[in-house]
Amino acid sequence: MSRLNIDGLAKGIIAGDIPSISRGISIVEDHSQNYASSELMKKIYDRTGRIHIIGVTGPPGVGKSSLIGMLAAEMSKRKQKTSIIAVDASSPFTGGTLLGNRIRMQDSINQNSIFMRSLASRGFKGGLSSAALSTIKILDAAGYESVIVETVGSGQADIDIMKIAHTILVLHAPGLGDIVQSIKAGIMEIGDLFVVNKIDRQEAFLAIKDIEDSLAMLPSGTWTKKVIGVNSLTGEHVGELMDEITRHREYYFKNRPDDEGIREMSIYIEDEMRRIINERSRQKGDLHREMKKLMSRGIDPFNGALKIVDKIIGTEV
Amino acid sequence: MADGKSLSLFKDKPIKVLLAKPGIDGHDRGMFVLAKAFRDAGMDVLYAGLLPTPEEVIDTAVNEDVDVIALSLLNGAHLTVFKKVSDLLKARKIDDIAVVGGGTIPDGDKIKLEKMGISGNYGPGTPLATIIAHVTQRAADARRKKLADR
Repeated sequence: MSRLNIDGLAKGIIAGDIPSISRGISIVEDHSQNYASSELMKKIYDRTGRIHIIGVTGPPGVGKSSLIGMLAAEMSKRKQKTSIIAVDASSPFTGGTLLGNRIRMQDSINQNSIFMRSLASRGFKGGLSSAALSTIKILDAAGYESVIVETVGSGQADIDIMKIAHTILVLHAPGLGDIVQSIKAGIMEIGDLFVVNKIDRQEAFLAIKDIEDSLAMLPSGTWTKKVIGVNSLTGEHVGELMDEITRHREYYFKNRPDDEGIREMSIYIEDEMRRIINERSRQKGDLHREMKKLMSRGIDPFNGALKIVDKIIGTEV
Repeated sequence: MADGKSLSLFKDKPIKVLLAKPGIDGHDRGMFVLAKAFRDAGMDVLYAGLLPTPEEVIDTAVNEDVDVIALSLLNGAHLTVFKKVSDLLKARKIDDIAVVGGGTIPDGDKIKLEKMGISGNYGPGTPLATIIAHVTQRAADARRKKLADR
């Protein structure tokens, strides 16, 4: 349907032209534009590899967006060209999304002219991880020194994005229940820096202590994981957090793993396969009716599912 | 209300709409009602927050590459502020983002706004389905322009 001028777009992106960057992201977000995306990625690939990817995750309400606003302002103060990607959850019922992260950092974005883009998680349909990854590539090619990626911290796609982040911040706040409980499942391991927000609250000290205690039980690596208390509304200790992020960036780039490309490729492969399977199931007509038919014949759900999957991807499982 | 999803143009990327109240106007209840209605129609919805300047509205719209900017004012400044938004878009040579309006807008002003390319201009009591249908239609125009070869 469309033959966008990819050449011009790629040039615009590399020159740092905001409308080009923005349009480029729209293309990689849209799976019906896969051909355009592939052309675009080819053209910008040799300009990538310099951006520092900072992942911010944590339960809802701990202040991720506000903190990112503060961090971005701090980076601007330090003359760093930064950008933000925030992921919002789509409604599983209607597919619609309220992209609300932006509003918490709006002032900081406006004052410092930071590029910020909201992405919708699209629920079970997938595609977020590859869209986010391609968005990072575009920002990389456009010359941004860093990108802060915010996720809701749950769901497969979120974890995938965290796999490609260089520095991972795990954010928590006191008063939301047992902290160790909520961050233990794998997050202790993936986090590089642990941030306790809302340190003006009285339980904050205990929260910091709790996390420090559980970190002490992890096998020690070459990077020592730290806990930092901040206040994302006043900006208290955000400078110290920024120092630690910078320290981790230096550490990461000095010890840069050589399998980054492979990890990225795996994310694209998974997303693309999910997309193709979705597409194929759509083409196979009314699967719901098929399922009903199987159920009415007295077939159990497990064996019924095997039949349906066989119908979609055409291999005897 | 599946209006937002019915078009093949939006199959893999839903309509993206930015709600904004530029100008000194804090009446945002209507915006929240619309935000929810648009989301339930399957759209990606952004809200620019209270008191953004027209420049900030455009910056957000460009960063996010929205299809539609939906402006609302209840303070009577629509002829000044909506015009500013539309002028800024023209100055930046952006023609693939549609602008719609709403709020308390006298009938006489609606014609003037239409001439600036700001359509809809619905008042209180308009059924949500009407607004969704209109936004969907304007979004389709915008999306067609975005996808056009140029």
